[in-house]
Amino acid sequence: METSTLSREERRSRSRPKRPFLHRPPVVAAIFLLPFLVLFGIFRVWAVGYAVVLSFQDIEGVGVSDWTGFDNYRRLLSDSTFFLALRNTALYTLGTLLILIPLPFVLAAVLRSKLVARPVMFRSVFFLPVLTSLVVVGVIFSLLLTTHGLLNSFLGLFGLPQQGWLETRHLAIPAMIIMATWRWTGINIIYFTTGLSNIPNELYESASVDGAGALRKFWYLSVPLSKPIILFVTILTIFGGFQLFVEPLILWGTGGGPGQGGLSVVMHLYRTAFTSFQLGYASAIGVVLALMIIVLSLVVLKLFGFFKKD
Amino acid sequence: MGLSSVLILGLAFATACGGDDGGNPSGDSGQGGGEGQDIELEFWTFVDAHTDFMQARADEFNAQNDEYNIVLDASVADFEEMHDRLLVAMQTGAGAPDIVDIEIQRFATFLRGEVPLHPLTDIVDNHRDQLVEERTAPYRADGVEYGIDYHLGTWVMYYNNEILEEAGVDVDDIVSWDDYIEAGKQVVANTDAWMAPVETTDRFSVIGLMLQNGGGTYDENNELILDSQENIDALQLIADMVHEHEIATVSAGGQVHDEAFYQAMNAGEYASVWMPQWFVTRFWDFMPETEGHILIRPLPEFEPGGFISTMGGGTGTAITKQIDDDKLDAAKQFLEFAKLSYDAQVALWTELGFDPFRNDVYEDEALLEADPWFGGEQVMTNLEGMFDRLAPEYTGPRYPEAILQLRDVVAYDVIEQGADPGEALRKAAEEVRSIDD
Repeated sequence: METSTLSREERRSRSRPKRPFLHRPPVVAAIFLLPFLVLFGIFRVWAVGYAVVLSFQDIEGVGVSDWTGFDNYRRLLSDSTFFLALRNTALYTLGTLLILIPLPFVLAAVLRSKLVARPVMFRSVFFLPVLTSLVVVGVIFSLLLTTHGLLNSFLGLFGLPQQGWLETRHLAIPAMIIMATWRWTGINIIYFTTGLSNIPNELYESASVDGAGALRKFWYLSVPLSKPIILFVTILTIFGGFQLFVEPLILWGTGGGPGQGGLSVVMHLYRTAFTSFQLGYASAIGVVLALMIIVLSLVVLKLFGFFKKD
Repeated sequence: MGLSSVLILGLAFATACGGDDGGNPSGDSGQGGGEGQDIELEFWTFVDAHTDFMQARADEFNAQNDEYNIVLDASVADFEEMHDRLLVAMQTGAGAPDIVDIEIQRFATFLRGEVPLHPLTDIVDNHRDQLVEERTAPYRADGVEYGIDYHLGTWVMYYNNEILEEAGVDVDDIVSWDDYIEAGKQVVANTDAWMAPVETTDRFSVIGLMLQNGGGTYDENNELILDSQENIDALQLIADMVHEHEIATVSAGGQVHDEAFYQAMNAGEYASVWMPQWFVTRFWDFMPETEGHILIRPLPEFEPGGFISTMGGGTGTAITKQIDDDKLDAAKQFLEFAKLSYDAQVALWTELGFDPFRNDVYEDEALLEADPWFGGEQVMTNLEGMFDRLAPEYTGPRYPEAILQLRDVVAYDVIEQGADPGEALRKAAEEVRSIDD
């Protein structure tokens, strides 16, 4: 039997015309992947690797570089501006975590319920800020947050005093969180909507039969069953928070905000690299920031039980 | 972003690849009209008006010069973007323009290490006798000039005379800072206005008076003097105006380049503001309600016979070392013509509204005209009267960092938080010095 099978295989292979080299599946796959791999190799792998190399050098001035070992990292430990920026960044990240997880989650749940007519329209409206150009965002928020701006007018309706959102140190982080909330709520709603739509309807129906109300169903079904997507959005928010750059740039340029209240780690990195032209030290800041993000993400994954075996 | 440092290297690569002007080109390519050899010069700037100014000079140069015909390929980009791209192009050794505008705050960055700019001392020397010498200092390293400015930037006091008159103050009675404080008390008592706004998120309010008092960031020997007694005294004066005499307040918007400030000035909320001469363009463009009411005067003096002005801001035009050797002579001839010739310096006023830094042009008819916007006075002639009492500004290797300290930390801590000026300046100086420790 085996002999006859082999001979059939042999016959089949002889009758099939041989594919040209460029048409072979592995070759085709490699060709299609090549543009991505080249770009990824140059702009990610090589760039990141080179940044690590730079972080061990002292580069100040064009064409001047010295190997200085861990000097840049030692300097980081005594850089009070770095720690101030780190504190600002951590507070901002915490603020965004406290708002950009629960708020979009509740909004996503409400938009999925039958309470809202035209949910697609609302979802689109919430999503629009994500698509808005940064120039427009800058104009909107300068109108919104200035002393005579819309936000202060709104506060005035409740008899609250005007705030110098863009000129007061302790209001710099809240101002950036307000901006982040406006920009990123929509995209998080989309993530959570996707997660919620994966929960089988039968579960909600059974809960209804058992007499559970909307709030109980939300708390005991939607929340726990959305854990993977909540974890995903939490990690993304941490990434976004520690990479804070655009918000302070729009609000204060590269100035760091009132009394450096809006100075983020990436802004400090940027200023070190370009205003001070200390590329080696800036690279060290970048490496440390990346390590911090990785460690923090691993901690969050651990807390969510990501590494537990089911 | 994965590793944040990708930002640096991504930009480096993008610039090294060249060609793309980042979506911000003005497309202002000049057409040579002269008989000479066509020389195409790529010019980067961050100010729209500078491209028009340089293009007009190129046209004039071509009409007068038989040797070269300059074809200016000018492009404008955002301030930070242009300087960042330039820095990366210099570092990578490719992609830099032939001629470039570098703002004073960023200029020192390019003077570290191997200076990637061509010395311009020879063309400055051709005119040195006619120049207000102090203006070449910010762009000089080891006695060599690398940039030529667009203006002198004479620091003046802009008074809203309508408010002063309402308060019963004669502007010409203000000679010293004590007089200014007394006038301010009258303004606050008799009108709804403050005497002055003070910046907390920019540097001009504080560095102006520091320089006027003989301080600043660096001295002529390249020593950092951020915590000098002159600076402390000047900052103390500003702090006293805010906290003790209560005649000055934090500027609307935190700085005088903010829409909120322009609105407040238009609404008559400030009786004066101290800023360099080029701030006249902000009055023209953004504060139309003040037309006819603003009078320009020297800064009040700290001591009799002392400085009554200094210089503020600035942009040095430089020639990069990436220029082709066969273009260098033409570029230098053109830059000398465009920035230092008599007619070009007159054009600085007539086309850009800036105060020239060549002494002899102040007798030109165009600069003698009375200015209805500013009380019908001969503003330029009045400025010239201040030149012999003008405090110089020196920059040094950590000038950008010193400026960041002033605008981000010192101004806010002293004016908004009531910190001790001496303590704040000592801390700032320590921070700057620690970079090189």
